[in-house]
Amino acid sequence: MNDAQTIAVEVVGIEQVTPLIKHFKLAPVGGGLLPVFSGGSHIIVVMQAKDRVHKNPYSLLGSPSQLTTYEIGVRRMEESRGGSHFMHDAVKLGSRLEIAHPVNLFGLDKIARKHVLIAGGIGITPILAQLEDLHGGGVPYELHYSVRSAEHAAFLERLRRREGARLHIYYDSDGQLIPFEPLLAAQPLGTHVYVCGPAGMIKHVIGTAQASGWPDSHIHWEQFSAPPVGDAFEVFLARSKISVHVPPDQSLLESIEAAGVEVPYLCRGGVCGFCHTRVLELDGELMHNDHFLSNADKANAKNIMPCVSRARCKRLVLDL
Amino acid sequence: MLVTGIKSKPVYAPLQADTRGRYHLMLGLGVGAAPLLRVIDEMRAAAASGLKTTRVLFVPDPGAAPPGAAPDAQAAPEVVAFKAAGIGDVQAFGGTAALLEQFRTTLAQSLMGTRLYVAGPESFIGLAMKIALEFNLNKDEIRAEECGSLARRVYCIHCRTTTEFVRTNIVRCAGCARWLLVRDHYSRRLAAYMGVMVDAEAPGELPPLKEVFL
Repeated sequence: MNDAQTIAVEVVGIEQVTPLIKHFKLAPVGGGLLPVFSGGSHIIVVMQAKDRVHKNPYSLLGSPSQLTTYEIGVRRMEESRGGSHFMHDAVKLGSRLEIAHPVNLFGLDKIARKHVLIAGGIGITPILAQLEDLHGGGVPYELHYSVRSAEHAAFLERLRRREGARLHIYYDSDGQLIPFEPLLAAQPLGTHVYVCGPAGMIKHVIGTAQASGWPDSHIHWEQFSAPPVGDAFEVFLARSKISVHVPPDQSLLESIEAAGVEVPYLCRGGVCGFCHTRVLELDGELMHNDHFLSNADKANAKNIMPCVSRARCKRLVLDL
Repeated sequence: MLVTGIKSKPVYAPLQADTRGRYHLMLGLGVGAAPLLRVIDEMRAAAASGLKTTRVLFVPDPGAAPPGAAPDAQAAPEVVAFKAAGIGDVQAFGGTAALLEQFRTTLAQSLMGTRLYVAGPESFIGLAMKIALEFNLNKDEIRAEECGSLARRVYCIHCRTTTEFVRTNIVRCAGCARWLLVRDHYSRRLAAYMGVMVDAEAPGELPPLKEVFL
């Protein structure tokens, strides 16, 4: 993916749906239809801020059968590197943005006999579109949605109206917890579970499902990591023969792109594995933050995912 | 026409216990008892709790019954061996069809966390897999070991009849009587190899009949 393949869109709707979440509607500049997608897909939104370019992944939450606009939900992150604050503060009705084509790394299993969807907070966004794909399909499903409190329950009215008794809502403020263990221990054969939410919730669902004997092929999850802030370091790109400085608040991928070198990517959140880059020399350690490489791969330090991972080192040489 | 070297031909591996599973469902036919007993031994060595949640559905080999005895599946030596190995839930059947009917009923009542083990001839494995597929069991939930006869189920691509127990390179279709060439092209959905009319171009010209799937 690179910027030549982006689509120009205009913001045609903004709604503050909770104190922290804004809901945006994006329409193609000049009209027409946007590319087809399936529930669980995300887009990369390219934001031209004053001093830098932000490229953040956001799940599409609208119906895949409605392609005149795309809908995304953006949570204002407390420790934002700028992207979510830009969306919340600088983007207005009529603002122009660039987006990349949708990619689905969190699709539904088409031959499942039942679907159990679990969302925490802003993690509801990809699941909203998955639900659209499930409507009228005849396959049983249920949604378990956990939020901080009633005022933080984004899209609750939409969910109540469309899902009825299939929706189970849990408020942290009232001490309500999703009963993960009994829920996952009592599902019929052929069930698939999908979870999107905070890192701790995803880890807990995966662990509980595995402890109940679930095979990995029935467990689906998505979590986009924001690139963490870290120490500045230098990287040398062996094929381009240039040295690049990575400042504390910019990711390795962003710094490489700013130096004019293109790296293929799909998610920019440590999930897809597309920006997978070979490490040729390293004097120091890699700070892996992705969900793609195995623990063994992380330990042997021969590869890095520059979208979210960094280094603490005297010297790093990449095969770029 | 490509007869061998076709990717769809299933590949099997020796059965191994998967102790990450919570429930274990074992299906066997005839000599398939031995690999299943081996898995039960592995489970006992690893975690005895798995044995309590193991169910065996089995069709004994009629030849293994003592001479002169009336065929009684429940008293078959294999069934005795499963019980001696510590499996309380063993059901024996007089034939494959009855076993598969119970298998379907069992899957409909089973929970996530179930692992399936199948041991027996490929035709038996294929029929079991076909049902497992309907219940969306994936590769990481199923283990199968091939043992016993290599006789094939052959699906006639012309009249759609399946001919059972095929041991030869070419076979007369049980439905339309065409001579079919038995290919390695396998359908998981039909649990059968594809049979294609062998003398369509030159009627009556047949390759020598050979027993190849023994």
